[in-house]
Amino acid sequence: VLWCPTVAARLSVDADRFAHVIERWGREQVLGLASDVSSADAAEKVARPAKWSATGADECAVWGLCQGSGKSAYRTGVDLSEPAFTCSCPSRKFPCKHALGLLLIWSDGAVGEGTPPAWLAEWLVKRQQRVERPRTEPARDPKTAERREQRVEGGVEELDQWLRDQIANGLASAEKAPYEMWDDIARRLVDAQAGGLAGRVKAMASIPAEGDDWPRRLLEEYSLLRLLTTAFRRQEELPEPLRATVRSHVGFTVRQEEVLNGERVRDHWYIAGSLDSEQDGLTTRRVWLRGQETGRPALVLSFAPPGRPLDASLVAGGTIDASLAYYPGSQPLRAVVAERHGAPAHRPPCGTTVEGLLREHAEALSRDPWLDRWPATLNHVRLATAGGRSHLVDAEDAAVPLRGQTPWRLLAVSGGRAVTVSGEWSTRGLLPLSAWHDEEGLVVL
Amino acid sequence: VNTWGEHLTTALLGTRRRAVPDLPEGASGGGDPAGRLLDQAAFLTLRRRAGRPGGRAEPIAPAPAETAPIVGPPAARRLRQILGGEHGRLLPEWLEAAARSGLRVPPRSLPELLDKGRADRALRPAIARAAGRRGVWLAMRNIDWAYLVAAGDGDAAQDPEHWETGTRIQRAAHLTWLRAADPARAVATLRTTWATDSAPDRTLFLGTFEKGLSAGDEEFLEAALDDRGQDVRRIAADLLARLPNSAYGRRMADRARTCLRIVRPDAAPDTIDVHPPDDHDEAMRRDGIPFHAVERIGTRAGWLREILARAPLPIWAEILGRTPAEIVRMPVADHDARTALDVHLGWARAAVRQRDPEWARGLLNADVLLGGSEIEILAGLLNVLPAGERDREAATVIGRIGNGPRPELITLLGSVPGPWAGALAGAVIAALSAGARVPPSQGLPGPHTDLTELCRLADERLSPATAPQVDEIAQEHPGTRALTDLARTLRFRRDMLTELSA
Repeated sequence: VLWCPTVAARLSVDADRFAHVIERWGREQVLGLASDVSSADAAEKVARPAKWSATGADECAVWGLCQGSGKSAYRTGVDLSEPAFTCSCPSRKFPCKHALGLLLIWSDGAVGEGTPPAWLAEWLVKRQQRVERPRTEPARDPKTAERREQRVEGGVEELDQWLRDQIANGLASAEKAPYEMWDDIARRLVDAQAGGLAGRVKAMASIPAEGDDWPRRLLEEYSLLRLLTTAFRRQEELPEPLRATVRSHVGFTVRQEEVLNGERVRDHWYIAGSLDSEQDGLTTRRVWLRGQETGRPALVLSFAPPGRPLDASLVAGGTIDASLAYYPGSQPLRAVVAERHGAPAHRPPCGTTVEGLLREHAEALSRDPWLDRWPATLNHVRLATAGGRSHLVDAEDAAVPLRGQTPWRLLAVSGGRAVTVSGEWSTRGLLPLSAWHDEEGLVVL
Repeated sequence: VNTWGEHLTTALLGTRRRAVPDLPEGASGGGDPAGRLLDQAAFLTLRRRAGRPGGRAEPIAPAPAETAPIVGPPAARRLRQILGGEHGRLLPEWLEAAARSGLRVPPRSLPELLDKGRADRALRPAIARAAGRRGVWLAMRNIDWAYLVAAGDGDAAQDPEHWETGTRIQRAAHLTWLRAADPARAVATLRTTWATDSAPDRTLFLGTFEKGLSAGDEEFLEAALDDRGQDVRRIAADLLARLPNSAYGRRMADRARTCLRIVRPDAAPDTIDVHPPDDHDEAMRRDGIPFHAVERIGTRAGWLREILARAPLPIWAEILGRTPAEIVRMPVADHDARTALDVHLGWARAAVRQRDPEWARGLLNADVLLGGSEIEILAGLLNVLPAGERDREAATVIGRIGNGPRPELITLLGSVPGPWAGALAGAVIAALSAGARVPPSQGLPGPHTDLTELCRLADERLSPATAPQVDEIAQEHPGTRALTDLARTLRFRRDMLTELSA
């Protein structure tokens, strides 16, 4: 259930812990919602305060009337929590230029605070009812599930044999091997409906081309895959959370409704940053969160075909008061935002030291050995170099390497002094995503 | 013994060729060798990942403390918009306005800004003024941004080493700096290598004399008139023509005296009689008067124009016994239809070259130079006048050209740098308004192409204070895209400058 102060009574328990400052979105963020370039262009033309009347905004919505080409004005409203859009114009584009234009002038600060008009409140209420209405999906045929189980078992056996063949014959030939070697087995795993395994195998194809270190990395990945095939074959012996973790890595998905019905954790979640990656004609957005009271990490995934807008509701650097529902597993990480309890706030995140991060990551690995990414927030770190590579070094002089190119923006903002840096930690290093600077505040990297 | 290393070697060679190493902590020995190796490797991999210690690294030396404050949040947001490509052409104006108010670029935008300067040299001085010490500190760490280190405090340009061993550009930079600091020393420095420098180098170096030109440079320039390089000779002659009291000036004055004289016809006002030179000689060529004029006019008319354009203007008061304002209004005896134009154009070029406001004012007021190909010289004359007067005079000239955005107006304004304020701004707005009322002609060049062109010229130069007026015109003609864009740009600039005003 989406909670919104404009429609529901203000029953928030701790909403007053935040200053109720309306956090406006940046221009780039607004234009990022456009479905294509021409929409963005059209929106900029509409984004003139003179075209708008009866505009207003509160914590969770922006609204206004736009003078169109005809006599009557269009009613445009945006629910900021999702975001969701409504407009009385006939455009088939979604969001339409009026919704984007409205957000642009709001982003420029040209929309004042106000109380939503009746038409908007009505729409918000309708939306809320729609969200609340439970979706009924046909129950899955148990036979289908059984057939799938058998297929996956077959795929796992095949992968196990393939891995052992690679090791029996030696990895040395992998350096010159064509991509097809991995693609073939990956395709067979897709056919066996073991998408998780297929994705892992596909990602390995590029390792031999990525530097002298490739034999070590390939053996590491192969051995962890073997650990996964073994675990899957012995899943009946595993405790339930670990079994769920194993099955999710293999490629079994859990329906979102089931997730929403499971455990929820309410906290003030710091949004450490988001990353988009593309594979097989699908863009995946990973948003990393960290609970500021519980300290729990979370990963929210969203998907879209390339060129289509992704979920833009979680903006890096914000802190949201929300309840998250975790996917089941021995190291819960992936989650969905089940319920929001207020507008995002901006405040520095709580972080840890390098040692704290490494210890936490080790503990997480003990619960999920196949974990490859982890959200990190490091306090009081300075940029440093070792062996020609950028590092972050904390107040105790412990350092972690950075992944990716030289973080010029981080260097520029910090000026070589201490900042709080959040990012995605993996065995290959930390990819910085956002920073907090004493004077400059949030910086998205 | 390195257990992991042994496992890796075995994996590379294959378990068919090599035995699986022992691992006491490892899983049970069951299964085939390949499976056992993988199981043991998984154990070692996880042990290593989980047991990873923190590393050591050398912190980067911090940036020096800043003296200038960072621009406010609205200005910072606008800079990000500009760097993102929105009204990207306004970047220099943003930077200059920030520097004028003693503000600096927010550090987070420095990487994009320094990248812009990498591609666009013209931006670099403005970047150097607004990037702060943080900018230079950052640039020292990226070879692509090294230009800022040189531009930042001029250290590199000041280094005499650069003159002796640097590239052509570095040497020119050193000379430019020296020319600004101590022109005489710049001449002395240039002499040290002049004899052995290549002709393109000499051309580039002599170009730096533009700054700080004085009688002290005469001797060097006079010698350069005999240079082997044609471009060097041309630059030397053009520079000397800006020094009225030089020997060059006296030679030119002698030639000029024979060209113009007063005749007093009966019952008619005093008239200027024109005698272009009969012959061209080696001395004229040496002083930068080519045998064939660049313009398609007769050779004698061409020599006349060059002589008048290079002769010191003060001589005319003495020869013709009148003030510049009176001289330019004197009738010219026509040998052919163009004679008067040859004379006035020659004087106009001299007024621009010698930056003489009195002559410029006289020529503009007398309205003697209006015609298709001479329109640019009008812009030159306008630019000699002080700012406020320039804007008033420009408005008068526009009024004479006629209402609306004509090609002549575009040519004229193309050579008048911004900001356009006062009467000039008013005249441009009137032209926009007149142009917008003309119905568009289907894709043909005509008033509408000129309107588009005028809008394009105006968007960076017209004073942003005119935004409301242009807005009004744009709203009256909602279909005219160029006007809508211009109104948007002006609003953008007005807001931008407000944000950056100290």
